[in-house]
Amino acid sequence: MHHHDDDHIIEPHTNTLHTRREFLRTSMLGAAAAWTLPVFLQKTFFELDAMAVDSAVQVTTGKDSPILVVLQMAGGNDGLNTVIPYADDVYYRSRPVIGIGADKVLKLNDYVGLNPRLVGLKSLYDQGHLGVIQGVGYPNPNRSHFRATEIWQTASDADQLETSGWLGRYFDSCCSGADPTVGVTIGNELPQSFASPHPTGVAFSNPEQYRWVNNDKNGSDQVFKQLNQPDDAGVDDNTGGSIGMLSGNQHNNENPLDFLQRTALDAQLSSDKIIEIACKYKSVVDYPRTHLGDSLSLVGRMIAGGLPTRVYYVSQGGYDTHTNQTGTHDRLMTELNDALVAFTKDLQAQGNFNRVMLMTFSEFGRRVQQNGSNGTDHGAASPLFVMGGGMKPGLYGKYPSLTDLNAGDLKYNVDFRSIYATILEKWMGAPSKNILGRQFPFMPLV
Amino acid sequence: MLTPLKPGEWDWNKAAHLLNRAGFGGTPEQIDALYHAGFDRSVNRLLNAPDDTAEFPKPVWATQDSSQQMAILHAGLDLAAAGTPADQEARKMIFRKYQGDVRKNMIDLVGWWLNRMATTPDPLREKLTLFWHGHFATGVTKVRDSYKMWLQNETLRQHALGDFGSMVRAMSRDPAMLVWLDGADSLRSKPNENWARELMELFTLGIGNYTEDDIKASAKAFTGYKVNPANQTFFYSPLQHNDEQKTFFGKTGDFNGDDIINMILGKPVCAQYMVRKIWRFFVYDNPAPALVNDLAARFQKNGYAIHPLMNEIFRSAEFYSPRAIRMQIKRPVEWTIRNAKVLEASLPPTIPMTNALRQLGQIPFDPPNVKGWDGGKAWITTSTLLARYNLSNYVIGNGGMTLQPVGNNAKKARPMRDVPSRAVIDFEKIAPAALRKDTTALVKSLSLRLFQTELIPYASQRFIDYLEPRKADIDDQTVRELLHLMMSTPDYQLT
Repeated sequence: MHHHDDDHIIEPHTNTLHTRREFLRTSMLGAAAAWTLPVFLQKTFFELDAMAVDSAVQVTTGKDSPILVVLQMAGGNDGLNTVIPYADDVYYRSRPVIGIGADKVLKLNDYVGLNPRLVGLKSLYDQGHLGVIQGVGYPNPNRSHFRATEIWQTASDADQLETSGWLGRYFDSCCSGADPTVGVTIGNELPQSFASPHPTGVAFSNPEQYRWVNNDKNGSDQVFKQLNQPDDAGVDDNTGGSIGMLSGNQHNNENPLDFLQRTALDAQLSSDKIIEIACKYKSVVDYPRTHLGDSLSLVGRMIAGGLPTRVYYVSQGGYDTHTNQTGTHDRLMTELNDALVAFTKDLQAQGNFNRVMLMTFSEFGRRVQQNGSNGTDHGAASPLFVMGGGMKPGLYGKYPSLTDLNAGDLKYNVDFRSIYATILEKWMGAPSKNILGRQFPFMPLV
Repeated sequence: MLTPLKPGEWDWNKAAHLLNRAGFGGTPEQIDALYHAGFDRSVNRLLNAPDDTAEFPKPVWATQDSSQQMAILHAGLDLAAAGTPADQEARKMIFRKYQGDVRKNMIDLVGWWLNRMATTPDPLREKLTLFWHGHFATGVTKVRDSYKMWLQNETLRQHALGDFGSMVRAMSRDPAMLVWLDGADSLRSKPNENWARELMELFTLGIGNYTEDDIKASAKAFTGYKVNPANQTFFYSPLQHNDEQKTFFGKTGDFNGDDIINMILGKPVCAQYMVRKIWRFFVYDNPAPALVNDLAARFQKNGYAIHPLMNEIFRSAEFYSPRAIRMQIKRPVEWTIRNAKVLEASLPPTIPMTNALRQLGQIPFDPPNVKGWDGGKAWITTSTLLARYNLSNYVIGNGGMTLQPVGNNAKKARPMRDVPSRAVIDFEKIAPAALRKDTTALVKSLSLRLFQTELIPYASQRFIDYLEPRKADIDDQTVRELLHLMMSTPDYQLT
């Protein structure tokens, strides 16, 4: 078996939590050399070893590390009715029915203002905790929900197919071997931005149910752990010695059993801690009872409990407003506002507001012109929000011209990958060039 | 022609694999029967199964009368005009009742369909219907009409083994689809591009095989496709058809929707796109391009006939290769039905079953979007894997299922119902008394039942060790615990 030199392995900061690496070391490295490891663990070992000699490795856990919260506004948010160019006649001419009156707009300067429902965000802006980035997009924008979302999640060029996500590459680059909860998605599905050849991150929506429940108090638990953790891997019995129970499975990159085993291990490692935190920490502020409110409330509790997470991912759907959009968009703006206000209060009460940055994004904005059914069709550039106690607030980028359009859509002036690069490098302390494939200019957000 | 499996290579595991993939699996007896029938007859049986229509009468509510528009018309109100305040109030009441009815009907329809999948003598047709539903993914959240959703399901079933061209033409006229992708709202002067885009991006060609101008031309060609609110059927309105000259794939003419579909079907890339997708659903991910192109050429030449395509796939050696067998993650719907099959139990009651499917990420008639379910590894996260483990406890009658709200705010948390499991499992059948005396034999028998293959000795030993202290009296509860353990493994998620 491959020899592992302890000196090459960096100790994690935290003593309270078994990181995946620590877990693997204590349970595997001491094992007899004759034991054959499951294939995915062998791979992990080689990588850990390779990684350990790389001085760029960043230890990621610890109570004071900065945190990123990504909030996806799924469906294509109408940026023009979110950050409103109220002083532009073209806006009102293009949107005779759905345009929002200048008297109602929450003004940021003499040209733009926020949607009237974003009262809380306006206060955050005034208090210096909100950044509004205008005209965000990328070259050759795609108007398909799926492709555009994929472009945002993978940070690829519009004409390039990339399967790994920008956050997945961050985990790979900086958190390899870290606790699986380094990335947490509230929900049942991991976003494509977490995708990587070595999937990292856990997903849950009900912490109370995030554990294996059984009725037998006599030994089931132990057997379950053996079956779902490689802490007692089988001896070689001419089958490859995988903890995979069935004979005949081939091991290769596509093998779903490797993937299932890895996920089972991550579930085991994260479940105890998440439940412990969920039991101990309750929100001290009232969150709105919406999907987004519930999700951010959960994130707040996990931060309060010190889960060693660097990236949380939450989402809010419903932004695909093709018909009669006003009522729907108003409601979405209210939900967004109320949830973010509660989240801010929660973090401030915890004293964690300064180490959290939240970024919103949506796959595209919408057309300047309203359509035949008082809605808007898929567009291109749109604004996004960055929020937190440790950032430089203000209005960034410039509002795209409402007349100089690209096929009826706003032109971008801030590449979204500049925002990613800034957050990765300046906020998370990660090498953005490696993660994004090239150097994007930084913004003065942090 | 793909290399066929040699009849001499047919064995019990391959029979199980065929039943798992072409249908929804089976009990040990059903697999035995298929194995003994032999390779040729087994494939024939699945492909030419008896018609099951009479066994599954449609839900009573599935009538053209059940639409909201009909309720409004019955009440003597105008469909288009808001009317007097009293009229508006009446419409509001109708709408409220209608929404409740749709919710109830859809839960009923999910139960109806899963029951059909689980018990039909023609499982391939249901498996294909599930494939087509994921392909032409349409959701009730926008359609908001249970009759239309039922009707689309029926149409997909009818064409499931027919020809793909007729299927696409039927979908272009399908009332649920016309609402889902805004076709019914498309106007001569303002053609809606939603259907036109997805027709090519998702339903036939795949991204990159058409231009934005092709989408615009196609959208014009499909104008005039409408749904009659009085009887929920398709009709063509020549007045709303945009009859100007359109240029599509470089040809110019006054094309209609069927012309567009024919031109799409004329492209070899269409057959390739469909074969790749069918292969991924039934066999494995990322088939070699040569294999796809070879199958696709015949698919197109045979007029996109689905029956011979499936026949060739199920007879191919590749279908039974190590790359295929037990290398796919069970879809939640499949997982649910397979549980019932291996335990020889009926499906859970519809409401907790729908709740379970929601947690696992696949509710029929409610796909995440028009792209359908991503499938494969996307089914599994730490969250859904633990949910599968815990739901299996409910399935074997070992505990209730707590229907909990998403997230938690302690002060306001709604108390949720605990739904007790009413699973009735014949433990004497699954684990006969004679077998319980020999723990090794018991573990082997249950492994074949649950995994359709034997476990490696190391894993079997874990289960045998678990039984060891309980050996003197292996009661039903012990068998339950053992089953729960076996189902709480990565391996049980594979098919």
